[in-house]
Amino acid sequence: MAKSKKNLSFLIMTLFCSSLVHAQNHVSAERKDSIDNGNYTFKELREHSNKGAANNALDVLSGQAAGVNVTSNGLDRMAMLNSVRVRGTTSIIGGNDPLVLIDGVTSDVLTLSTIYPADIESFRILKNAAETAMYGSRGASGVIEVKTKKGTGRGFQISYEGNVGFEQMYKHLDMLNAAEYVATAKALGIYCNNGGYNTDFYKVITRTGLVNNHYLAFSGGTPQSNYRASFGVIDHNTIIKKKDYGVFVAKLDVTQKAFNDKLTGDFGVFGSSFKNHDIFDTQMLFYSAACQNPTFPAGTDKNGNWIKNESATYINPPAILLEEKKDSKDMNFDAHIKLSYDFNSNWRISTFGSYLYSSTENGQFCPTWVWAQGNVYRGEFKKEEWLGNVAVNFNKKFGIHAISAEASSEYRKLNKSAFWVYAKGIPTNDFHYDNIGATASRPYGGTESTYEGQALASVMGSITYELLNKYVFSVNARSDGSSMVGNNNRWGFFPSVSFTWDLKKERFLAHIKPLSLLKIRSSLGQAGNLGGISAYTTMNTARQTGIVPIKNSPTVTLGMVKNNNPDLKWETKTTFNIGADVGFFDNRIMFTAEYYYSRTSDMLYAYEVPVPPFAYNTLLANIGAMSNRGFEFGLSMQPISKKDMELNFNMNLSFQSNKLISLSGEYKGMNMSAANITAIGSLNGAGQNGGDNNVVYQIVGQPLGVFYLPHCNGLIKNNDGNYSYNIQDLDNNGKVDLSDGGDRYIAGQATPKVTLGSNISFRYKDFYIALQMNGAFGHKIFNGTGLAFTNMTSFPDYNVLKDAPKKNIMDQRVSDYWLEKGNYLNFEHLTIGYNVPLKKNVIRSLRISCNISNLGTITGYKGLTPMINSYVMNSTMGIDDKRTYPLYRTYSLGLSVQF
Amino acid sequence: MRTFIKYILAVSMMFCCWACLDEHPKDQLDQEAIYNNADNIYKNAVASLYNYIGSNQESEGLQGTCRGIYDYNTLTTDEAMNPIRGGDWYDGGLWENMYKHTWNANDMYLYNVWKYLFKVIVLSNQSLSVIDSHKQLLTAEQAENYKAEVRAVRALFYYYAMDMFGRIPIVTAYDVKPNQVVQSERSEVFKFIVKEFQKVAPQLADKHANKEGDYYGRITRPVVNFLLAKLALNAEIYADDDWTDEKKLDGKDIFFTVNGNKLNAWQTCVWYCDQLTQEGYELETDYASNFSVHNENSKENIFTIPLDKNLYLNEYHYLFRSRHYKHGGAYGGSSENGTCATVSTVKAYGYGTDHVDNRFKTNFYADTVFVDGKKIYLDNGKPLVYMPLELKLNLSDSPYKQTAGARVGKYEVDRTAYSDGRQVDNDIVLFRYGDALLMKAEAKVRNGEDGSIELNAIRDRVGMPHVESTLNNILKERLLELVWEGWRRQDLIRFGKYTKAYDQRIPIENENTGFTTVFPIPQKCLDLNKNLKQNKGYK
Repeated sequence: MAKSKKNLSFLIMTLFCSSLVHAQNHVSAERKDSIDNGNYTFKELREHSNKGAANNALDVLSGQAAGVNVTSNGLDRMAMLNSVRVRGTTSIIGGNDPLVLIDGVTSDVLTLSTIYPADIESFRILKNAAETAMYGSRGASGVIEVKTKKGTGRGFQISYEGNVGFEQMYKHLDMLNAAEYVATAKALGIYCNNGGYNTDFYKVITRTGLVNNHYLAFSGGTPQSNYRASFGVIDHNTIIKKKDYGVFVAKLDVTQKAFNDKLTGDFGVFGSSFKNHDIFDTQMLFYSAACQNPTFPAGTDKNGNWIKNESATYINPPAILLEEKKDSKDMNFDAHIKLSYDFNSNWRISTFGSYLYSSTENGQFCPTWVWAQGNVYRGEFKKEEWLGNVAVNFNKKFGIHAISAEASSEYRKLNKSAFWVYAKGIPTNDFHYDNIGATASRPYGGTESTYEGQALASVMGSITYELLNKYVFSVNARSDGSSMVGNNNRWGFFPSVSFTWDLKKERFLAHIKPLSLLKIRSSLGQAGNLGGISAYTTMNTARQTGIVPIKNSPTVTLGMVKNNNPDLKWETKTTFNIGADVGFFDNRIMFTAEYYYSRTSDMLYAYEVPVPPFAYNTLLANIGAMSNRGFEFGLSMQPISKKDMELNFNMNLSFQSNKLISLSGEYKGMNMSAANITAIGSLNGAGQNGGDNNVVYQIVGQPLGVFYLPHCNGLIKNNDGNYSYNIQDLDNNGKVDLSDGGDRYIAGQATPKVTLGSNISFRYKDFYIALQMNGAFGHKIFNGTGLAFTNMTSFPDYNVLKDAPKKNIMDQRVSDYWLEKGNYLNFEHLTIGYNVPLKKNVIRSLRISCNISNLGTITGYKGLTPMINSYVMNSTMGIDDKRTYPLYRTYSLGLSVQF
Repeated sequence: MRTFIKYILAVSMMFCCWACLDEHPKDQLDQEAIYNNADNIYKNAVASLYNYIGSNQESEGLQGTCRGIYDYNTLTTDEAMNPIRGGDWYDGGLWENMYKHTWNANDMYLYNVWKYLFKVIVLSNQSLSVIDSHKQLLTAEQAENYKAEVRAVRALFYYYAMDMFGRIPIVTAYDVKPNQVVQSERSEVFKFIVKEFQKVAPQLADKHANKEGDYYGRITRPVVNFLLAKLALNAEIYADDDWTDEKKLDGKDIFFTVNGNKLNAWQTCVWYCDQLTQEGYELETDYASNFSVHNENSKENIFTIPLDKNLYLNEYHYLFRSRHYKHGGAYGGSSENGTCATVSTVKAYGYGTDHVDNRFKTNFYADTVFVDGKKIYLDNGKPLVYMPLELKLNLSDSPYKQTAGARVGKYEVDRTAYSDGRQVDNDIVLFRYGDALLMKAEAKVRNGEDGSIELNAIRDRVGMPHVESTLNNILKERLLELVWEGWRRQDLIRFGKYTKAYDQRIPIENENTGFTTVFPIPQKCLDLNKNLKQNKGYK
């Protein structure tokens, strides 16, 4: 019911892009100011990497910034929206989504995904403590700063960009066809229901997808007074029938200077709408498409009835599932105003205010063909945010010294409200969710409304001192106060310090000609995080607990619904980083390297507590600790740089390791210790409901998300000729115990140890070609799809993989037999373009390009694709379990014109 | 410039003041606010506990949903099993472990049951502290009555917790620290529960709780009398602190003070059963009417979980879980094709002989199934025929993979049900007078008397011939009469048969010690509270 999230991948691409780009000197890796500490602003790289295929800002980010991960399989873009991570997961409870700021307005990945890439002036990714300090707790999990294009002040300009294309499935799981299905049943001597058809259910649920993106922008004015307006439309019909989405975006920015240019005012409004028709239950749909009896018809039988395979309760005729609806509509409006006044060259005061309103409407419909009596759902989720900020800046140079200082205070208020209705017993399947009045039953609990208010206040001061234009020291101190923590812990103090040394400016290096850049930077600091919690958790409040008969009439009762912790405080992340930038030959070769270590303490988590004396078994508290460390390495080269020919190569590698240090400590003077081993992911499906089916665990002393599995020593042949897994008795006690504390061992981690992003572009005269790749290494994937679809005990109720009858495994126990290496290298986009040379100056530039996305993947993983959720800690992490989209490619043609 | 900076500072300060960080919830109330008068105290401190008697959540509710108390008392016995049917119902070995008694302390559903039972106990303690701290809003009588009702609910949940886990902590106050929570011996818990029930019984209304009206679904005096009879009947078990040694207690040596008299366990059981007779309970002439869609008027049912698909959330999953997919389909929903009566159960009913118990047709679906007088056809064109005698724990290689086993009946099918038959209007029967008569018969026999009047009253009602009131006949009659009502584990333990070979089960290693007669303390509980010790026999 939560707000649907979209195109994360887009974001990620952009991020990645930005860090790569910065390495190239000619890509205007401009330093903002000296506090930035190696953080560059990345201009959109359209000139060189030409991501014509990017119809979404997330595509631009994906795979381009070291330390930023997105599960970018390119298949389910919506799912990616939840998966952007900057330097991994640092909090268990949540709040791991980076802060997205669009022109200073708090935003989210969803909104970012609706912005057309061509509207984006630059991305900045802030990862280190000193960099994120100015955003305090909001930026604890990294910051993605997006600056959109403003009027240029160079008179009227107009530009159009667009691309159209199609998508085509190229691979899906290879299940038995009708003849093989019938033959297998016959060979096994078992009855199977032969419906007489030969249906490929993947064909039933897929189509040729269509992509349509159009974007128009115009700007005008003078340097003192200018504007820019843009409109964008995205229409995307995916390869899955009935799954499509459309975006409409409009944006207007105005800049006005006054009082001899001392006052600058920026005003902007942004509005977007995003409509999404999603799959009701992804796993159910793809499970059904794979396992439905292939002799059944694609649609209804001659009498118009759906043929249900009633012995296969976990699946349905795939075409019925497409009749279910899960729609959402997001509307987003925000406005911001920024005024800054320069008193003189030293003093400046600036104020910033923004307002944001967003709403998500959900509608769901389950027809009677799938659910007895049918049911419908409608919901609305609204969010309003006000943010105000006042800052004073001081800058001064005295000979070899330069000082800059800033003091600011900020207040942010966020209100969320929701309303939803769930009803069942529909008289007809024709109303969908549009006539909820025509339902028989709206039970208690089916209609609800909620309200939540959060407030955050901050005061901050920072001083930067620069000596000889070579050494930069800065100190930053801030206090964040939140309404959500306990009254006695409201304010958290989070300081940071940083240092940069520009060695190239030292005399002893000046004569080394090939070396064009050498800089060392380091910072240490703290940030508070409350991102994963909601309001009122510290209060002793009561909500409805249920409905009971009192004096013969149904009565709602109120009471405590969770354990309360009045002492809740800030979760604190302490980060240290040290890095260097090195450039040679006028920065045609550039390396950047950075090491970081972060430790999360007072970690917020819903700790398991003993019942009794607690009524509920979890308590939100600050107890444990977790660490993340990593090494990020970037390389960019421009081996050829001539007038007619140019070759660029960028690559970044991130090594990352995470460790859950502890989940025990003190609470109210009591020693609390949460369970050391907690299952977080298991399999779902026929015969896999509960029991010893857990696969991924959270274990103290290990990275978050490890595979903790029984060990299988291959297959053993049973008396009746079939095979079982030979599960080892690891503790040699004579019994094989598959339960959590039994014969299991830690068999690998679900998150990649190394991620790679790379792009290569080549230009010859007016032609160019660009290739973007990403990869992940060192992690494992549990092939739950393989386990389930190979298990012959499910046959013939559920269809099986082509090679399953030969393997003849009749066993569905979980073990490391199905644990595989997840390493992959993925070719994400290939773009070939032509800049049409123009003589006349009506059209200033014209470019055409063709793009292919999701080219292919090199991997040893035997399932459909290794690009599953390997980053976000939830019940699907590391487990390929019947929910993977069929693989498809996107082919599109792009056109870009500027007048 | 100075003035300017001052001005800026002032603005910043205003910001911070405006930045009021207090929380003002709108969709929830301060807990104090919900106990502002006598009615609301009753509603939110007493009646709210009745939300937890039934449930729609897995592992919660005393009956009705799956993987909870009912399953651990039914699918672990000779009464029923949930067989593996090819790809279905393996579920990580869950059902197999129940049937074979190979569960262990990591069983997450046992932990869920523990959490559920103690949640209600802790909420009851909270309610008692609320009533105490709001005495000024209540008359002395109200305060006493409210507390009596809460204590009865708490004792009810202690009874289930003790029955399942043996040595459990007795926590009676709300503000207890985790390190103060220690286990008590089973006999202490037992005495505590009996004392609580005896203490509060006089303050509870002498009303029939199964009937719609002021006392519908509430704990009344008859409910407590029934529970006291149960406690006395199982006193030999509950008063035994080491159930893994050879020594067994004798109910004749266990004494209760009842109404001022010292009675042994069996006399006590009889006394409380007689109370129920005096309170006006009697056998319904039609056995099946106790389980009909509108069974609120039963003269026999003592304590039920109120179900109403439009008003309440409680659900009943056992018909849905049991019947064949096509069988559920014939009622317009889906089904899970799971739980079955064991072969030994159907044989006890005389299935396959000429003398089938008259309750068989009510309690099971077997052989060819008819819905609305019509047969149900399978995919292969043949009619659906349940095969009660073909049942095995693993049916994967059986030609009757989908159809083996007699299915759960007993409750009348509510044709207007929602959620594939899980949301029905039949109230779930927890306690009924028929059981009390069998308890009385058993207690009399164990006390050296004749119990045939009560035993044969049960048989007369269903038109079965009289039998001699031997313990074996009584145990058998309990199966015939009370099948699917969740009593079998307790009965087998009391008769010393739970750990023995039965149906298709063979005892597991060391089971002769009796260690499986209580479930292990869930490992999570041991991890979270170092004071707790595992039950004997479990590692």
